[in-house]
Amino acid sequence: MLEVNAMGDACPMPVIKTMNALKTLEQGGTVETRVDNEIAVQNLLKMAREKGHAAQWEQVAQGEYRVVITTGPQESTPQQTEATCPTQQKSRKNTVVVIASDRMGEGSEELGKTLLKGFFYALTQQETLPDTILFYNKGAQMSCQGSPALEDLRGLQEQGVELLTCGTCLNYYGLSDRLAVGEVTNMYVICEKMTHADTVVKP
Amino acid sequence: MRKKELSLIVAFDETAQAMGAERCFQDRGLPGRLIPIPREITAGCGLAWKAAPQDQQCLKEALEALSLGNCRFYVLEV
Repeated sequence: MLEVNAMGDACPMPVIKTMNALKTLEQGGTVETRVDNEIAVQNLLKMAREKGHAAQWEQVAQGEYRVVITTGPQESTPQQTEATCPTQQKSRKNTVVVIASDRMGEGSEELGKTLLKGFFYALTQQETLPDTILFYNKGAQMSCQGSPALEDLRGLQEQGVELLTCGTCLNYYGLSDRLAVGEVTNMYVICEKMTHADTVVKP
Repeated sequence: MRKKELSLIVAFDETAQAMGAERCFQDRGLPGRLIPIPREITAGCGLAWKAAPQDQQCLKEALEALSLGNCRFYVLEV
């Protein structure tokens, strides 16, 4: 079992540290993460749910929580994973950024590409980052090798932003083996992410 | 948010100048990148070149070759 000390860490560090620990468990196993607030617990449980991992948690002391995530086929029980903190969860808006083109706006192609590069840079400077960035149609080029946005996208991913690129689009443009950051997704997930979002941003 | 670092910022008078400078810098393999001009410099909208403070001389020479010697240089944390 791997132990992760995320006491005192601000969001999204507990999730990032835990995900990094999980990645090292190629054959499966358990990661125990200690955090100091219930929102971090919820974020860890959400991450575990989305990745299909079993998760348990308990409060071990005032301001100290233990979250145990196990990789593998085990199902976690609703009582263990559905603990909620509605007030805080509602205050956190789910924002999705949609990149549907290799440029920003209509008009000059050169200017549009320059503006989109600037948009990614400005995104990295925001106090609150989006939850997810979706790339489709020509926007799929932005997450592939040779994209001028890769440095910014890798930085966003390291800070917990989910990057998803349309697999159909990668295939259409002959980019299936050139994805450089994030993961491939399908239209069901794209549709789900957009319909579940509080805010969809399309530059 | 990305950690701020001390940077050289080259501000241009016109968007076309900034885009021309980007092409020139990239052709010559000069360091840095084009970014939206930081709010610390102006509340307006524009483009700027961001590089490391020690890159000022080589960028200045390239800009003078482009007849853009009147660009403004700033060093600030962005």
